[in-house]
Amino acid sequence: MIFTEILDKLKAKHEVLESKEDLGVLNAWVSAKKIKEVIGFLKNDMQFGQLSFVTAVDLMAANNIEMVYRLFSYETKSDVVIKVKLDRAKPEIETITSIFSTADWHERETSEMFGVKFLNHPDPNRLLLPDGIDMPLRKDFKCADMTPLPKV
Amino acid sequence: MNGVDEELIKKIPGLPIVMTTAEWAINAGRSNSIWTLTFGLRCCAMEMMATGAPKYDWARFGLEVPSASPRRADMMIVAGTVTKKMEPVIIRLYEQMAEPKYVIAMGACAISGGPFIYDSYSVIKGADKIIPVDIYIPGCPPRPEALLDGIIKLQKKIMKQKFRTVKEHK
Ligand code: SF4
Repeated sequence: MIFTEILDKLKAKHEVLESKEDLGVLNAWVSAKKIKEVIGFLKNDMQFGQLSFVTAVDLMAANNIEMVYRLFSYETKSDVVIKVKLDRAKPEIETITSIFSTADWHERETSEMFGVKFLNHPDPNRLLLPDGIDMPLRKDFKCADMTPLPKV
Repeated sequence: MNGVDEELIKKIPGLPIVMTTAEWAINAGRSNSIWTLTFGLRCCAMEMMATGAPKYDWARFGLEVPSASPRRADMMIVAGTVTKKMEPVIIRLYEQMAEPKYVIAMGACAISGGPFIYDSYSVIKGADKIIPVDIYIPGCPPRPEALLDGIIKLQKKIMKQKFRTVKEHK
């Protein structure tokens, strides 16, 4: 499936806020409230059977945390990236573990790395980080023993 | 003399009594039977395994047994990156080892944080920040020859120990 086809099918059912093509892959922004329906629709009606990863990007200048979900379809051999903009001060989004159970650990990692809160997550604990390090992948992260890279 | 021909022993000058200092005998015993703690943290552990494997074979230098328990180990090779999450584990393993105990910091990571020294939220900048280190082996990773060289240096260090003042870590 080429990306316009995916976009048309997605647009027919759900509201797409923004979209663009990136290296032949459709990037579609949807609203945070709709994430479960959109992912469920892609899985059940458009044969996107694999969730490749869930992560986030800290867009500090725009005051956003952007969630990134990448899905792959073995049937049509195509990818799609779903993005959601969240408020940086209070990032909250519904979990998608009921649709893809592999999202469990991805979401736990995103949660400790970026401070995103996943609502109704079955196991909302830390995954990798020890206690005392919070949100290290945010751009404004500071910690006492961190040596900044010297500018050359 | 267990099964050794007595006539033969008489031919060796000085035998059956050999004079030496207790210090030398104990140090020689210690330095030639170092047991290592089987403990690898990251990519350097691959070179450590290669050093233990037949091609380089650290058993030639008396490191016969990689001990799976810290209570039977004399030496810990910190082979890799020390992270904040690993810190309590390393300290605990070190404290469980029996005295006298020795530590080799292998690779740039264990010496100073290595490639992760800048902008890292999780890496401790050197194993010597948390436990005393005897020998530092530079490299990323050090070749097995370098590790063997470090082990020989540690043996020389053990031979120079004074019997009464063997370091004890408290
Ligand atoms: S010093 Fe190099 S090879 Fe050794 S653990 Fe660090 S990064 Fe890996």
